[in-house]
Amino acid sequence: MTTQLKGSNSSDDEDRTAPGVEPGAAVGFRAKLAGVSLWDLVQMECMARSRLVVLVTGEGGIGYLYFDRGQVVHAITTDNVGEPAALEILGWTNGSFQPSDRPWPETRTIFTSHEALILQIAKRRDEASNLVAFPTRGAAETAHGAPRDDDAAAADDVEMFELEEEGAASMRSSDVSDLPPPQPQPPAPAPARNDFTSADFPVMLRLSPQGAILRNNGGSEELAEMMAYVRRLTDLAGEFLGLEGFTALECTFTKGRCLAFVDSNGDTVVLRPRPEANLQALRDRLGL
Amino acid sequence: MTGAEATALSDGMNASLATLKDVAGIAGSFVCTPNGRVVAREISALFDDAVLVEAGSRLVRMREAFAAGGDELEVGVVRFRDHRIYLKSVGDSLLCILAEGAVNMPSLRMAANLVGRRIGGAVAQLEAEPPPIRTPPPPPAPPPSRRMAEAPPGMRRFRGRPVD
Repeated sequence: MTTQLKGSNSSDDEDRTAPGVEPGAAVGFRAKLAGVSLWDLVQMECMARSRLVVLVTGEGGIGYLYFDRGQVVHAITTDNVGEPAALEILGWTNGSFQPSDRPWPETRTIFTSHEALILQIAKRRDEASNLVAFPTRGAAETAHGAPRDDDAAAADDVEMFELEEEGAASMRSSDVSDLPPPQPQPPAPAPARNDFTSADFPVMLRLSPQGAILRNNGGSEELAEMMAYVRRLTDLAGEFLGLEGFTALECTFTKGRCLAFVDSNGDTVVLRPRPEANLQALRDRLGL
Repeated sequence: MTGAEATALSDGMNASLATLKDVAGIAGSFVCTPNGRVVAREISALFDDAVLVEAGSRLVRMREAFAAGGDELEVGVVRFRDHRIYLKSVGDSLLCILAEGAVNMPSLRMAANLVGRRIGGAVAQLEAEPPPIRTPPPPPAPPPSRRMAEAPPGMRRFRGRPVD
């Protein structure tokens, strides 16, 4: 897939760098870049404080992002306008990215920074890719304590866009001298599991209320069967004693530990932590 | 072991279980052997023996399920909405402690460890005892059959029937 990042919409292949190019004509680099994500492109445009409209074609359709003075100020897709549209577009992982001469909107519809938009998408993506959505203690905590490795992993999930750049200079409202000094990179997205990583749990298993394996990472069918049975037994024991609402279980064995808890959708999540993993925070959340 | 000895052991264990109630939030406890017997209890009479046997046998089975997968249970915490059951292996039996959700867990763990040590010997002795033999109830008496009338004098009878 070819993407024109910034440049004219013309499809001519004229060599504009050749001697004799008329002054004022669109000049700039044409580049084919591999390994560029849409997030990178958005950040590039914002860092350059471009004022331009970009047509993004992705797996979800087409959409337009409007950049002005280092921010995404408007977005539109076939289904959404404003921030929802921006989030929809930023959620695409494959596609093209090319300038557009679409008219400028009458009013600004996005007031959230592009960093925050990307952060939201990264969190959604990370949560979707998690086998386990650990119970959270509070929203305030989700932004802290994120291990850098996980941040990088979340960003790495983005599939790369291929980029072809052409006539970049003509598409900018400011020239190079107006560019602000390089800005620090936006904060990397915080993963949902802010104080746990999959490395702490070599075995993660998600079972439906009927005991079917929904997700399995490192577990076995025997473990799933055992935990489904254990879940039933705990329910029964609770019923006999008049205890309602099984929520979680922790077992310490002579070798190893096991945790299980009921997710908000009724699934049972089974975890086998590493011996050295500190589970106190998770215990607190699960009431164990 | 005589019945009196078993009773004495159980009484001693009951006394040990009672000490668990020093920890605020502990509602009671009982000890269940692998064969499902409740050999000691210190819990409200609201929970009769049959209920404890039913609940305890499920918890014992849970331990067996883990063991079948190669995991020997030492300690377990089962959390319900407002309560939790703390399980501790004592020999082959399970010490089951019923506690409120807000119980002080470090205190509970410590108390359970101490009680587990204290009752370990008695539990081992009781485990060695064969389960009480349950004598099956006597079969119901057969419905009374119609009694043969006494044969009139001079009548010969063979197997209850008049014969000529």
